[in-house]
Amino acid sequence: MSVTMESSQRSRLSELVEELTTSGQPQLNQAKIKEVKKICRTSNDCVEHLYHLVMTQLNEEHSEVRLSAFQIATELFSRSHHFRMLLVENFQEFLELTVETDSDQPLPPPKEVAKKLRSQAIQTVQTWQSTYGAAYKKLALGYHFLKQVKKVDFQDAEARTVAERRREEERRRRLERLYKDKVEAATKDMDESFPEIQATLTQMESCMDLLFPQFELPNIQSVSSSPSNRQPVNKRPRHEEPPHHEEPPRHEEPPHCSTDVGQCYSKDKNRKESREERRTKDVRVKETSEGDKEEGDEGETERKQETDEREEKEEDEESDEEEGEEDCDEEDFFMRSSGLISYSYSLDLNLSPGLHVEETEDNEAVVSTVMDLHRLITTKYLPAVQGWVQVFTKAGAEQQLLRRALDVKRSLEAALQKEQELNIHSKTRIRRVMKSVNGESRVDDEDDEDDDDDNFDEVPEKEGYEPHIPEHLRAEYGLEPTPSTSTAPVPPLSSSSSSSSSSRQLQKLKDEEQDPTCAAATLRLLRQNLPLSTEPSTSSSSQKTSVHAPVVPFGLDLYYWGQKQPNAGKIIKAASQHQFWVPTEVEEEVENQQLLAESRSRVISFPGSFPPVSHHCGAPLPPGGVCQRQDRLKCPFHGPIIPRDKEGRPLRQEDRRREEQEERRKKEQQPDWRDEELMRDIEAATGENLGSDRVRRKGKGKKKKFPNLSDLKQSSDTSRSRLQRKVFNKSSMRRVAEVMKTADSRKHDKFSNQFNYALN
Amino acid sequence: MLGFLAARQTGLDDPLRLRRAESTRRVFGLELNPDRDVDQVHGNGINTIDIEAVEGRYMLSGGSDGVIVIYDLENYSGKPQYTCKAVCTIGRSNRYVHKFSVETVQWYPYDTGMIVSSSFDKTMKVWDTETLKPAEVFEFEGNVYSHHLSPIARKHSLIAVGTKYPKIQLCDLKSGSRTHVLQGHRAEVLSVRWSPRYEHILATASADSKVKVWDVRRATGSLFTLDQHNGDKSKASSEAVNTAHNGRVNGLCFTGDGLYILTTGTDDRMRLWNSATGENTLVNYGKVCNESRKKVQFTVSRGCSPEFVFVPCGSSIAVYALHTGELVTMLRGHYNNVDCCEFHPDYQELYSGGKDCNILAWVPVLRVSDMEEKSRNSNNKVAADQTPVDPAFQDAWSSDED
Repeated sequence: MSVTMESSQRSRLSELVEELTTSGQPQLNQAKIKEVKKICRTSNDCVEHLYHLVMTQLNEEHSEVRLSAFQIATELFSRSHHFRMLLVENFQEFLELTVETDSDQPLPPPKEVAKKLRSQAIQTVQTWQSTYGAAYKKLALGYHFLKQVKKVDFQDAEARTVAERRREEERRRRLERLYKDKVEAATKDMDESFPEIQATLTQMESCMDLLFPQFELPNIQSVSSSPSNRQPVNKRPRHEEPPHHEEPPRHEEPPHCSTDVGQCYSKDKNRKESREERRTKDVRVKETSEGDKEEGDEGETERKQETDEREEKEEDEESDEEEGEEDCDEEDFFMRSSGLISYSYSLDLNLSPGLHVEETEDNEAVVSTVMDLHRLITTKYLPAVQGWVQVFTKAGAEQQLLRRALDVKRSLEAALQKEQELNIHSKTRIRRVMKSVNGESRVDDEDDEDDDDDNFDEVPEKEGYEPHIPEHLRAEYGLEPTPSTSTAPVPPLSSSSSSSSSSRQLQKLKDEEQDPTCAAATLRLLRQNLPLSTEPSTSSSSQKTSVHAPVVPFGLDLYYWGQKQPNAGKIIKAASQHQFWVPTEVEEEVENQQLLAESRSRVISFPGSFPPVSHHCGAPLPPGGVCQRQDRLKCPFHGPIIPRDKEGRPLRQEDRRREEQEERRKKEQQPDWRDEELMRDIEAATGENLGSDRVRRKGKGKKKKFPNLSDLKQSSDTSRSRLQRKVFNKSSMRRVAEVMKTADSRKHDKFSNQFNYALN
Repeated sequence: MLGFLAARQTGLDDPLRLRRAESTRRVFGLELNPDRDVDQVHGNGINTIDIEAVEGRYMLSGGSDGVIVIYDLENYSGKPQYTCKAVCTIGRSNRYVHKFSVETVQWYPYDTGMIVSSSFDKTMKVWDTETLKPAEVFEFEGNVYSHHLSPIARKHSLIAVGTKYPKIQLCDLKSGSRTHVLQGHRAEVLSVRWSPRYEHILATASADSKVKVWDVRRATGSLFTLDQHNGDKSKASSEAVNTAHNGRVNGLCFTGDGLYILTTGTDDRMRLWNSATGENTLVNYGKVCNESRKKVQFTVSRGCSPEFVFVPCGSSIAVYALHTGELVTMLRGHYNNVDCCEFHPDYQELYSGGKDCNILAWVPVLRVSDMEEKSRNSNNKVAADQTPVDPAFQDAWSSDED
């Protein structure tokens, strides 16, 4: 009775332990462990059995199993003295399996669980030591061993060993060293390029000063910030019109705007218009004048502007005073007093906000320098400086260095910003701007293209190939000036068609017509051959003929075109010159009809016309959709092209049947490269059906023994390991070895008695 | 036990018999005793220990850190709980301390006032235990693996020294100079031992897998070389002739009576040889794990009726019956490789040192059963008094498991 009880208990214990350890859970199932404890309580034999079970599970090469087994052990350790005895007796092994005391036996994967197991085990050993250390000598020894030899810091939350800590420290030190090196390199780099950057900045600054004098800037800004319409006054930089220096100031001329009398009248009628509006108008007038006036002399400009303004103001006041007077009088008066025909002018000004610098010939050099500098800063200095800043912040370098680097960065960015504000552009470059993909690289592209143009020398046209023959040289080439090729820059010449008018040309042609290799001769023959088409009266008709007339290579038939050939088709055999040996009867001339025909005929191959294929293959594709290949008869992938519907199903019944058969056959002979598992993996990853289910399953498919445990082999299923499987499998190795052996043996056969070959 | 006592009382038995029987019984009962501790002074592995023969009271240990410690083993407190205190230490602060790992320490056999230690710093030092200063320093060309003073020598005071070089040096304590060189080995000499029976007989074990027995009075060479095949040429390959093991021989020990020699090698074997003839007794001890590249110090019991061998085997100590080769028990307690063990003949205690920095005392368990019988007769309470039940030894099943 007791024996059966015992055995049933034992088997139950084994079951429970296996279930508990293969659950893969970080915590034990409370009900099950309770049952285990209940069984163990009955007798020491059960405890011993459990101990052995636990030790077996602890020896498993799987950290999850070990963790669970360890947890069972901790549960029992606090309960049973017998279990404690047994475990402490074998405490070395226990520590090896849970705390990794033996470096030759590292804890098995998965890593995370192993780490957890380790830290848990260390904490548990500590609690055991504090509770039972005095009673169990080996436990105390083990604890001291961990503490003093393995240098486990029990206070350390991560419970790292000395080795780990050292490794950590080493890594940190190495990083530090790396950072230090980096910082040093960056500092050196910065020190070296600092003057360069400074120089660049200075250059940029001065360039911008040149483009846009500094003292203007604040003025502009204040103006632009004010609500009045004065803002655009300075929109055109002074430097733009330096050549107008000597020109007399034009602002004294009557405003060169269109003076619309009718409008003037209407305006006059609307005298009630607010004064502000008028003033605006006046200002506009003044602006225009100012815009047009030359701007080299600043002081003068200012003065003029003032006088102008005053003048206008006076006029304004006058007109205001005269508001009540009659229209005609007013007009007269106005004309008299101001010399202006009308006092209402409409001026159209395009005001775009911000600054614009137009590139002209005069500031080209400066602008290009600015662009060069811009490129230099954006491509070289700014990334470098950013790198330094990154290095300094990462490495926690000195504040001073960091500040310096930041300063440099800021000044560079400021320079770039300023450059951007200038809005440098020019009409000549805008065209190219369109080509550039992004606006950012606009400037760069422009410069690049300029550079390209500069760098390319003018290369003379290749001899023998002239895609465009100059019109005046066409005669030399034996060509008549064809209107089709000329882009009509010389209309008189092009209009003169085949009846080439110029005598010189005619003569030349005649000369060349004798030469059958010359194109002129061919043309002549062609013309004779096709008299209709060769006499185009207009350029358009000649164009048409040149399209329709076939171009054929020169041949005998052309050479004797229209002539009576005296020797055509005759084979002339030379009579023997021998003294006394004479052939019997030789026909000296043999007429050969074939040859005769050949000399008159011409073989023209006619490939026929090429009607483009308009149909698609239309076979269904695995990822959906239909094949879009446009083959005439047969698709290389889907065979003969047959009529199909939208989904790719054949329309005809027999086609459908044939396709089904094919499908079935293909399924049966699955190519071996289709690794079923790999495909399934890929499918799982991509979520697409690649047809792994179609692959026949070999064997019954081993079911995973413990589905709850994390799979250790999973991680090893990498592309590398798969390749390894392929490359290093036995058969391929054998094959390679055989090949190498044969190569070797050949060498051996040849050179075996020559030691210097035999040696290697 | 009672029978032995009665026989002893009546004079039927040789006094030795009772002693032997009790010693043997005690050796069988060796186990790690929570009552006995040894001060942990060494911060590194312990290479060698030696118990002095005069009083059997002091123990010497040498560690990998060059430290030499003397312990007092005698328990005068009257309580079972005793921690062997370190009496004195030649520590790192001592200016004469060995620079590198101490490989061998030995008491002067006739007096506790002198110890001899040799080290990997190529020196052997003779220390005065009173002042802890070296009285004599011998310097060698190579690392000193082992040295030995004859335990019985009256006519000479030679120390045999085995170094990295194959020549064995004999240093005379009287003159303080190296007097002899014994040539014959081809590789480093890992262990040297004087015979406890004949004062001029010396055995040496070398990494060339040979063990030679010398008579130091003979100038021409060794007496004989131990051969594992007993001269049977057919079994030995040509290069294995006259070898004791198929690997390095790193352990060497005479039995207490000096009639037998025990050797261990890196071929994981232990062999017992007749020291008079050099014959392999072919006792099969099974596999004795041995991976040490240095000397392994193992010991043989004395005064037991079948003698026992205590040999380090990985992290445990294997106890074999000497002549049958039967594995008696494995003493498991160290957490790392055991390098040395020493038997205390008076108390049948075993001390072992290992790489885990511990010196463990293996003490015979008291015969609890006898006392229990007695106490059961009188009262159960007495038992409880005598063996106070540690709460840690009680089961602690919680009620919720029912």
